[in-house]
Parts: sequence; C-alpha cells; structure tokens
Amino acid sequence: MSNLLSNMLSPGFFFSIFRISAPILYATLAAIVVEKAGFANIGLEGLMMFSALFGSLASYYSQSWLVGFLVALLVGVGMSLLMGFFAFQLETDIILVGIAVNLMGSGGTLFLCKIITDITEGKAMASTTGLITSKLCIPNINIPVIRSIPFIGRVLSGHSLLTYTAFLMCILTSIMLYRTSLGLNIRAVGENANAAASVGVSVLKIKYIAIAFSGLMSGFGGAFMSMSYAQGWSQDMVAGRGFIALAAQAMGGGECLGGMFSSLLFGFAQALGIKFSSVGLDSNLASPIPYAITIISLAIFGFVRISRAKKPKVAA
Amino acid sequence: MTKKRQLIFSLVRGALAILIALLVAMLLIFISADGNSFGQRLSATAEAMKQLLVGPLFRINAQGIKFEGKRLADIFAAMIPTIFTGLSVCVMFAANQFNLGAEGGIMLGAFSSALVAIYVPLPKGLHALACILVGGAVTGVVMLIPALLKVKLNVSEMVCSLMLNYIIMYIIKYLMNTAYADKSKGQIQTYPFLNSSKIPALTQASIFTSSKLSWGIVIAALTVAAMGFFMYRSRWGYQIRMIGINQDFAKYSGMKVGFVIVLSQVLGGFLAGAGGGIEMLGRYPTFGWSALPGYGWTGITIAILAGNNPCFVPLAAFFLAYLGKGCDMMATYANVPTQLIAIVQGVIFLFFAAERFLSKYRQSLVVKTANEEIAAKMALAGGGGSLPQAGASGSQDSVKEGGKKDE
Repeated sequence: MSNLLSNMLSPGFFFSIFRISAPILYATLAAIVVEKAGFANIGLEGLMMFSALFGSLASYYSQSWLVGFLVALLVGVGMSLLMGFFAFQLETDIILVGIAVNLMGSGGTLFLCKIITDITEGKAMASTTGLITSKLCIPNINIPVIRSIPFIGRVLSGHSLLTYTAFLMCILTSIMLYRTSLGLNIRAVGENANAAASVGVSVLKIKYIAIAFSGLMSGFGGAFMSMSYAQGWSQDMVAGRGFIALAAQAMGGGECLGGMFSSLLFGFAQALGIKFSSVGLDSNLASPIPYAITIISLAIFGFVRISRAKKPKVAA
Repeated sequence: MTKKRQLIFSLVRGALAILIALLVAMLLIFISADGNSFGQRLSATAEAMKQLLVGPLFRINAQGIKFEGKRLADIFAAMIPTIFTGLSVCVMFAANQFNLGAEGGIMLGAFSSALVAIYVPLPKGLHALACILVGGAVTGVVMLIPALLKVKLNVSEMVCSLMLNYIIMYIIKYLMNTAYADKSKGQIQTYPFLNSSKIPALTQASIFTSSKLSWGIVIAALTVAAMGFFMYRSRWGYQIRMIGINQDFAKYSGMKVGFVIVLSQVLGGFLAGAGGGIEMLGRYPTFGWSALPGYGWTGITIAILAGNNPCFVPLAAFFLAYLGKGCDMMATYANVPTQLIAIVQGVIFLFFAAERFLSKYRQSLVVKTANEEIAAKMALAGGGGSLPQAGASGSQDSVKEGGKKDE
C-alpha cells in the first residue's frame, strides 16, 4: 500500500493523468458541442477508431506525421458529415446512426486495415503497430522555462503536442460557445430549434456544423490514440473512451470546464488502474475502475440534480 | 395506405437497403481483389460475391453447385444467441429504452450458467433448466442498475449499460484467472460442465449433421412465440409499446411508467442472459470466452431490421447469420477478410433505420391509395364526375403519415 502511495506521488503519475485524459477530453468536447445543439452523438467511439486507423496509415504512406494528422481530422469530419446526412436528411434516429458507426468502427476498421495493408504489403496486417515508428508519431514538446521547475516541470513539460492542444481546445470551445455568434446560434438551436429558425438561423446548417465539430474533435482524439498514445492502430484500441466521454459530458454539466475536470477524473481513475497493476494487483480488477466510477458519479450527479430541482418546491 | 401496399413498400425498401449494402461490399471487395488487370479483379470480385451469396448453403466447385446441409445447420446454430439478444433489444427498444447491455448481458448469463453447470450437481434435464434460469436471473438483476438509475435519478441508461458491459467483461476475466480457473489447461478456461447440464444436439441425421446445432434453436423458437404473444397480446407488452410511442400519453392515461421501464430492461436482461446460458451449454464443453462475444450488437441490428417486433426476429437473425456464414465462406475461399460483415451490417442497419429513405415513394403510394378511395366513393355515389386529385381524405392520410414521423 505504501508502495502504491509513493508510486502515486511521483511526477510520472501526474504526467500520465494528463496524457490519458487528453483523448477523453477531445471526445468530451465533441459530446458537449453536439449536446448544446440539441442532440447526442454516440458514434464518437467509431469516429475515433476510423480517424486513428486512417491517420496512422496516412502517416506511414506519406512518411509524415503531419499528413497523417490532417487525414485523421479529414476522416473524422467527413464521416461525421455523413452521419449528419443520415440523421438530418434521412431522419434516422441519431442514436441509431451512432450505433451503426460504432458497429463499423469495431469490425469494419479491422477489415479496412487488412485490405489496405494487403494491397501494398502482400500480407494483410491486423494492426498498424509495425508501421508506425516514433518518428511518425506526433512530436513531444518540451516547454523551455517550465521544464526546469523541479516537480511541476516533469508533470507539465514533455507532453505530446496534441495533449497541449486538447486543453487549448477546451478553452477555444468555451470561447466559441459563449463569445461568438456561432456559439450563440448553436445554443439557440439546442434550446429551441423553432425559435432559432424564426429569427433566421438555419437550423440544419448549425446542426451540420455541430456534428462536423464533433467529427473534428474525434479526429484529434483518434490521431492522438494511434500516433501518440500508442504507436499505431490496433483493434478496439479506443476501448470505450468515446462512451466515457458521454459520461464526462453529463458529469461536467454539459460545460467545457466541467467536462475538462470530469475528463481529468477519468484520466486519474485510469492512471490509478495502471498503477494498481504495476504493484501486482490483477489488471482485470483495476481496468473496470473508470467504468464503475462513471456509473457511480453519474448516479451522484443525477441525485444532486434531482434534489436541487426539488428544493424550491419545498420552499414554496 | 392499404395493408398490401404497406407490405410492398416494406419489401421494396428492405430489398433496396440490402442491395445498397451489397454494392458497397462489392466495391470494397473489388478494391481489395487480387489481380493486376481490371478483368482479373472483376472476376475475383464475382467469385467472392458468389461465395457470399450462395456459399452459405451450397458448395461451389468445378463439378458444379451442391447443397450442404451442414452449412444450413451452422446458420441455424449461429441464430441461437442472436435470436435471444435480438428479442432482448426488441423489448428494451420498444419501450424507448436505449439499453445497450445485451452485449455484456449475454456474457454474464453464459458465465453464471456455466458456474451452475460446473458446481451444482442436479438431475439431468432439471440441471440445464436451472443453469439457464440462473443465467437469465443474474443478468436481469444486473439490468436493474441502469433501469433503476434511469427511473429514479434520470441517468442515461445508454451510458450506464455501456459501462456495465466493460465492468462485466473485466470481472469475468478476473474470476476466470483466479477463483474458477482450470489451471491444468494451457488456455484460460473454467472446469468442464457436468454432463447432466448439457443441452443435446438437435439431430444425429448425417445429412444435417452439425455438432453446433443444439435443441437451443427449439427453445429460441418457443421464446420468440412467447415474446410475440407478450408484446402484442398482454397488458404489460401493450404498456411497454405505448411508453415507447408516447411516454407522456402513457403517464397521463395512468400507466406506471417507472415500473414498466424497469420491467422492460429486466426482461431484456433476462432474455440476453438466458440466451447466453443456452448458447454456452449447447455448444461448448467449458466456459472460455475472454472477450465480449459481439452478439449484443448483432441483436441491435436484428431488432432494427425486425422493427422491434419479436415475430420478425428469427427472419432478421437468419438473414444476418446467412450473411455472416457468407463472409466466412468468402474469407476461406476468396481471401476476403471476414470482418466485411461489420460494414455490410452497418450499411443495412443505417438504411433500415432511415425514416425518410424512399419517403417520396411512400408518399406516392399514399396519394395513389387516397385517389383510389375517392374514385371508389364517387362511383358509389353514382356521380361520374372527373377524378379529383388527392382531396380532403387524401391529405388527411398524409397528415397521419407525417404525424407518425414526429413521434
């Protein structure tokens, strides 16, 4: 136990919390923006799988992480627009569209990986981990001044570029939602689509923008997963982060700052799980911790929300 | 719309969705096909498609095409777990509860049944029944978590059930590694099931022989009939469907909405769990699943294809099992990765769920029916007159159609 505690107080542990939180934060921001626009995108998991796969493949074939990164974003946005087409134009239940994307994201990505690597490699590969070298990963950044601060330097410096942009995106998304006319329109559409339409806002356009934004964030998250968190894509590597993000969105009250803290909480839970297994506890016992925390925290927040809603009635 | 036209519309729509999915599959196979020239690739694609469409039932070789009873038996065997998850999802989705826990549910049911099959000696016959009931009951109880959290605290049952899937998988893996591990074996598995618990194979006939096809398929068929009766002929089934269509209406007409929401999810959990038990005892000598089996997701596709109606679940399950077998055949004989099924399934799923897919065609059918009705009324009234365009009754009909979509 003391072993575990000393392990936890090391800078490496805090470093890993930020690293693990980053992809969850991207997906959480995606969930927040679509929720503000009045619907739910549960296909984040599948979107991240596709972005992760195509990002790593593009980075390998072009031998440039930047191309891979951009392709990951493009795939995320493109697929989310397709989801939007089905949901808004063909009036498919958005939840079902999400389930379909997740279905394809789990087995379909493996199929695509096999046929794409087969064409050029001669033998089908079930993952791209052999293709991605550290040179093809998103680079890590050492921050000049902070790096030299004793403890904090080792926690905050040396992260992947995309870890920093995750937290930057959190601020930018908040500004976008509350300081721009686009954000106002998104929130208006989510609050009352008819009212927004009556003052000349194109509801359809705003919904497309919102879902494209969620695709963009999934692209970031997917690129991070296959080109920084792990070297290369492997099956089911996103491992429920797209779903955890839905919980983080709900737990954070649908706001960016709250979403960031709940992402960090999940990052903490996952980092704790890894530490558990490093001190000899069965990893199968540690792995479910973040999922269990999700349910428990959702229950707590649900309880708080309901008792808050009841209070004024009692007063009256 | 008349019933006949409604049926025609459903058939055309379904056929077109399948056709689009097959075209997508063909395109993907073509891209991945071996061969340098266009012609070579085309013939490789044709070969693969033949395996996909005909392979599940027939052996194709130089001598021609020959029916294979074993492959049909394999398809029926593959339907056993997916019929149960399909029914499970039907019940939950019909109440508008997007509980995605059938995936973890079937694994939990299979595991709990396995434990009873290994450690609780009971007389033959009774033993299998006890295993299945325990599997179903354990899963039903676990589904109380998302159901009660939804009803009491308004927590999304979708997120909750997804998280439960992972928790169930990891805990079962942990238990398989520790308390219930058969350490004498190289791979991770439990001790073998007692013989008294096994569900016997359906038939020993040589033409239809398949060790995988158990009496479970008969239990599945009976369950389908029971669920069809439950959903469309019983009070609780009616309440589940009404809550799914309009929860506020159901509430104000005096239904206990909370109870019925819990009921639908617990029943869904029971079905998934029992299905897991039946699959386990009919097919395997010991429990060795180390990951979620994927039947829950297939169950969701089946429920969408069946329109949440239990009676259509076997058809949808057969169709998906057929496709799955086709993809296996393609992987064996045409070198196309078997995961193609995920993409085909996803595309069919999307088009089946798309409300406005072919809506113009439906509209034209509605207008046509209305015009015919008006013409018939005119003729009945004796007044010849010119045929009016879709008049009062026609537009009423389309309003009804429109109203349906809004729900």
